[in-house]
Amino acid sequence: MTYALIRVSRPGDQGLGLEAFARATGTHPDLIRRLVALGVVDAERDRAGELWFSPGQVGALARVQRLRAGFALNYAAVGLVTDLLDRIAVLEAALRASRRSGG
Amino acid sequence: MPPDKNFYQILGVAADASQDEIQRAYRKLARQYHPDVNADPAAEERFKDASEAYHVLSDPQTRRRYDAFGADFRQIPPDVDPEAFRRTRAAAGTGTAAGGGAGRAGGGGGFGFRQPDIDIDDLFGGFFGGRPGRGWGPIRGADQEAELSLSVEEAYRGGRSSVTLSDGEAFRSFDVDVPAGVTDGQRIRLAGQGGHGSDGAPPGDLYLVVRIMPHPGYRLHGRDIYTELRLAPWEAALGTSVVIDTPGGEAKVKVPAGTSSGRRLRLRGRGLPNRTGKAGDFFAEARIMVPDRPSDAERRLFEQLAAVSDFEARRQR
Repeated sequence: MTYALIRVSRPGDQGLGLEAFARATGTHPDLIRRLVALGVVDAERDRAGELWFSPGQVGALARVQRLRAGFALNYAAVGLVTDLLDRIAVLEAALRASRRSGG
Repeated sequence: MPPDKNFYQILGVAADASQDEIQRAYRKLARQYHPDVNADPAAEERFKDASEAYHVLSDPQTRRRYDAFGADFRQIPPDVDPEAFRRTRAAAGTGTAAGGGAGRAGGGGGFGFRQPDIDIDDLFGGFFGGRPGRGWGPIRGADQEAELSLSVEEAYRGGRSSVTLSDGEAFRSFDVDVPAGVTDGQRIRLAGQGGHGSDGAPPGDLYLVVRIMPHPGYRLHGRDIYTELRLAPWEAALGTSVVIDTPGGEAKVKVPAGTSSGRRLRLRGRGLPNRTGKAGDFFAEARIMVPDRPSDAERRLFEQLAAVSDFEARRQR
């Protein structure tokens, strides 16, 4: 039997609010709202409608900005590229694991 | 930046390459070495070099100045005549005609000349930090990944391990505390040792991915260790007790009577240790060996056994 993991604490207990996230990433809150709407950055909304970000999203947004700056991508394309990079990382890890246990 | 760094060489194009070729070469290198595409610590340096080369060569004006004055063209005031510069330089032997560059701020109208000493990280930050007014602040550095090769014994014991990474031109060494019982593919995080951040942003993290090297005697499967246990036919048939090597030292295995090839004898908990849970097991896999050239006596005894026995090896199961 499997159970879905459910977050017990409120999102804000461990995450960053929009202002704090904007400060941590050096990005304007308006731009962050847009990125959340585009699904490039993951955020949760509490009951008051405020956005909350996990600390890992600081690194994720930095990657988005580096990719955007390095390849002149628009944000929709960056979303695709980051998804593909994540999928490749998973596949490469699986490939390494199978190569080692098999050989 | 070493003064002899050749931007054309970095991009892999000829000195008379067209703007199209330069752009194409840079885009190819960027796709290969961008720190978010290539987690190798050496990639960031290559990307930085390529970005700097492209930054200079993609602008016809800066490219002309680079062609005329070389890698330290930024130190040459904008109104210096290339011909005169070449003559002065030839006369002086080495050295550049720089020095007046700082005082010329605001003059000339060109870009880039206002900074007499361009720090490569500033420049790099410029690429990732974006142009002013675009809403990009400091950007944290990318995470990097490198392999940490360990022998089975090192993975078993854990302890200090030294890693040296090539960072393009420089080498970085780390002493890493490897926890006992790391498994193949596990990642050890070195906080803040990854790619450079721009504009004073913190660097990324460096992940060392553990790779356990093949061992002549052991095979690993997660935390379990397998080894081959060679037995003479009579040992396998009658049972025996054998001393075998495990990464934790010698251990005695009791081979029960009637052991066939492939039977696994388990030494519970003698595999790779586990800090947070159950340790792996050590498995000795029986493999029956027969003499290559049996002596006459051995042959006679085997023949006798063959005549007496009603055991049929191929009918089981």
